Amino acid sequence: MRWLSKLRLRVRSLLGKPALDRELDEEIRFHIERQIEENVAAGMEPEAARRAALREFGGVEPIKEECRDARGVTLAHDLVRDLRVGARQFRRSPAFTAVVVLILALGIGASTAIFSFIDAVMLRGLPVRDPDELVVLSWRARTDPDTRLSMTGGDCNGLETSPMARVRGPGPGAAGCSFSRPFFDQLRDDRGLLAGLTAFGNAPPLLVSGHGSPQRAYGQLVSGDYFAVLGVGAALGRTLDRGDEQRAAPVAVLSHAYWLRAFGGDPSIVGRTVRLNGALFTVVGVADPDFTRLTPGNVHDLWLPLSVRRLIDARWDQIYEGNASWLLTLVGRLRPGVPAAQVEAAATVAFRGNVLGAEGPLLTAADHPEVRVAPATSGLTGARVQYRQQLLVMSVAVGVLLAIACANVAGLLLARAGSRRREIALRLALGAGRGRIVRQLLAESTLLAVAGGALGALLATWGVEALVAFMSQSQSRPLGFDVAVDGRVLAFTALVSLTVGVAFGLAPALRATRVDVASTLKEGALATSGVRARLGAGLVVAQVALSVVILVGAGLFLRTLDELRGVDPGFRTENVLLFDIDPTLAGYPPPKIDALYRELRDGLADLPGVTSASWSEARLLAGAGWAATLRLPAPARIVDVDLLRVGPGFFQTLGVPVLAGRALSAEDIAAAPAGGDANANGTRTAVVNQAFARRFFPGRSPLGEGFQFDGRGPEPTWQIVGVVGDIKYSELRRDVWPTIYVPSQRRGVAFEVRTAADPMRLVPKVQALVARLAPDLAPTDVKTQSDEIDRLLFRERIMARLSGLFALLALALSCLGLYALLAHEVARRTREVGIRMALGARDGDVRRMVVAHGLALTATGIVLGIAAAAAVTRSLGAFLYGVAPTDPVVLASVSGLLLAVAFVACYLPARQATRVDPMLVLRSD
Amino acid sequence: MSKSSDLVQGTVDLLILKTLALGDMHGWAIAARIRSVSNEVLQVNQGALYPALHRLEHAGWIKSSWGESENRRRAKFYALTRAGRKYLEQEQATWERLSAAIALVLKSVPG
Repeated sequence: MRWLSKLRLRVRSLLGKPALDRELDEEIRFHIERQIEENVAAGMEPEAARRAALREFGGVEPIKEECRDARGVTLAHDLVRDLRVGARQFRRSPAFTAVVVLILALGIGASTAIFSFIDAVMLRGLPVRDPDELVVLSWRARTDPDTRLSMTGGDCNGLETSPMARVRGPGPGAAGCSFSRPFFDQLRDDRGLLAGLTAFGNAPPLLVSGHGSPQRAYGQLVSGDYFAVLGVGAALGRTLDRGDEQRAAPVAVLSHAYWLRAFGGDPSIVGRTVRLNGALFTVVGVADPDFTRLTPGNVHDLWLPLSVRRLIDARWDQIYEGNASWLLTLVGRLRPGVPAAQVEAAATVAFRGNVLGAEGPLLTAADHPEVRVAPATSGLTGARVQYRQQLLVMSVAVGVLLAIACANVAGLLLARAGSRRREIALRLALGAGRGRIVRQLLAESTLLAVAGGALGALLATWGVEALVAFMSQSQSRPLGFDVAVDGRVLAFTALVSLTVGVAFGLAPALRATRVDVASTLKEGALATSGVRARLGAGLVVAQVALSVVILVGAGLFLRTLDELRGVDPGFRTENVLLFDIDPTLAGYPPPKIDALYRELRDGLADLPGVTSASWSEARLLAGAGWAATLRLPAPARIVDVDLLRVGPGFFQTLGVPVLAGRALSAEDIAAAPAGGDANANGTRTAVVNQAFARRFFPGRSPLGEGFQFDGRGPEPTWQIVGVVGDIKYSELRRDVWPTIYVPSQRRGVAFEVRTAADPMRLVPKVQALVARLAPDLAPTDVKTQSDEIDRLLFRERIMARLSGLFALLALALSCLGLYALLAHEVARRTREVGIRMALGARDGDVRRMVVAHGLALTATGIVLGIAAAAAVTRSLGAFLYGVAPTDPVVLASVSGLLLAVAFVACYLPARQATRVDPMLVLRSD
Repeated sequence: MSKSSDLVQGTVDLLILKTLALGDMHGWAIAARIRSVSNEVLQVNQGALYPALHRLEHAGWIKSSWGESENRRRAKFYALTRAGRKYLEQEQATWERLSAAIALVLKSVPG
């Protein structure tokens, strides 16, 4: 029963503190009065008795304190009292508190903002029911399977071996997560294996018409039980079901965001029909708003049943449903009681049956094909892979910034603790334990940190909004991540605030309580706390060193961006308007496409303000391009080249110089009656770039030479009729590769329009022209070439901006830290300065003394910082372009900048020091 | 008075518990009783006494209640709990063993 009375006591202690305090008072008072009685009875005078009793008892307060401590629940009460006292302190010096809270808010806010991105991109789970039960299938083999067609939906980036890197024959092995339709059907029919299995793949480009002007949309083809397996419901109407796979009338489900964006959230959309690439579809529902995507970053506007592919894809063939076409990603839900290993084994058996025994086997037994099953939350990587490194770099930068902020605030608190020396000494003398006072100072610093954290969370919300807006501007598709400062992120903020509070509060608190009580209480204005000064100086040096790291990083990113922008792309990028158009989506036959392109080109050239126009099957500097494998004669070899299919006037429009021979003419490009790629004469003409000529025909002219595409059977010969200047095709970073230019094959194209003035002003006229010539089509992704390049450089731009911002903050904080330290030192050492001046030192000498001290600290910090930066920036190698991680120009500029800023920070305290009146100081001692 | 060492703390606890074994009493009376029984040798300082009383109560060896003292005033009386009684027996046995051992060592003749 001991524990029961103990519990009672503890509860009483916790809740009934005032009452217990009164009791303690009374108990002690009783003792003293009893002693007084005793003394009087022994013959003392009442007054003497009282004094004797009190003296005998000893210090009442410390004893009371010990009794309270013995009760063991004083911690909570003390904390509350400490916080109240702390709050009172801060009210008394609002300016100081405001500065400290602001500094902390910047550091914590930046950390919160970056964490919310990390949370949204890397940590957040799948927005489906019971995501831990979902698994994604992948295959592995010693060599690349001999598939007819293999496409990736970008669902398992990082796992898949790149098609370009695939090697025939034994190699490092191949892997992927695309499977064939028969394999999916077979696995799905095995009822006992999984609770559900669904397959999906990206839909071809979609043109949505029949509802306002035609627009592009991005869809996903899914099996009927997609929504059922994932456990996603409908916000409106219904989602897909198994029956939709066989239904005669095709149906579609819209995503919630797309429904709001394209249809204005119109609830009557359910049951209405739209045309997708000309085929009629019925919209049966809108998905739940929380279901933005399955694979991170892959946002789709609508979901269609797998069976409708032949309706919307002109190039679809039945053969793509066979064993040799691997187009589907498979995600399944585990059945309780059936472990993943069992699913793996069964799936591997089925997989082997599929690929080994197929007509024209895709793999041999020696290739060890197998299927792996991985949790979907980690297996579906999507866009995470491309953001991972940037987020890592930003985390480090933000961590450094937070460290600087902590060091800064620690320095400020240290200086202020100096002015509270007396108060602390008094408390120590009165018997307060050192631990108590440290606890109170820590409570104060934590209070500051929490206030800073709250303000920081607010700043982070704005910051995140601005960043997301900036990022959305640069993409044509929705971001694919919901970045927000939500509950999880706020929990992180709270954790960081508390940690920060202890981190920057501990050293000053410990330092502040290590006072020599007697001398502090007796002292005059002079206090030589050398250790505190050293600690303060150390903090400033640390801040400067950390600032160097951030500044160097920012400098490298800025230089990289600068270098990339300075790369000569080989063509004139200014004043070019781009837009995409794809008549195949509206079912145009080839002759109609030819006619349309011709009319469009003529119409565009006729517009006032347009210099020339052309088209090509890929935009330049858009991050992607076509490639081809060629067979060259004399000496016979097989080479990989870049390929671009272009329309007439391409080189002229883009300003690419023709160095030899001629460009492709309109006749070259017009179709032959026989179809195929030959022109009217039956010959096939191509143009190559200078890199091609130099690499494959060194020392001679390639004009007149022939080549063939490397295909399965006999291929026609192409003739080279011209050599053009090198241009950067898909990327600025990539070296110029041998490139061939051949006539466009009537696919969807990008039009390039060179204008005399601002291209965007022509957009309405261009749209009107397209609407007139092809009312069932729409120009999409309308941008200038400069915008396209900006989009290409998006990663570098955002890194430069963010690191630049952090660098500015770090610089400001270091400047503030140095100023505060010097100002405090000057104030502290007025006596010493006065004596020096009395002894003959002049203003200049005093100023020099202060500035020299400040610059010495800065220089030390710079040296340490450069060493640290050299170690850190080494890992940035992949990001940088045109600048080495230890670029001397950057290092020198950063050092110079810091010294200049430090000089400014020293100036005011230096001037302040000269204002000391030596006579006043000497007399006041 | 600063925090007592462990040995001294344990000793004070023992004295208090033993005193209370003889009857309920308040803090002042406990100190007076210890003084008188030890012939004025052991004077328990208030700085040790009251924290010890609160500690022992917190640990559950003694319990307190308010009552009327001999001089008609309200005082906090302490009493031994059953667990406290058992604890006292244990500690007393330990103490006797310890002091016997110390006595042996002190009595030993060099050589």
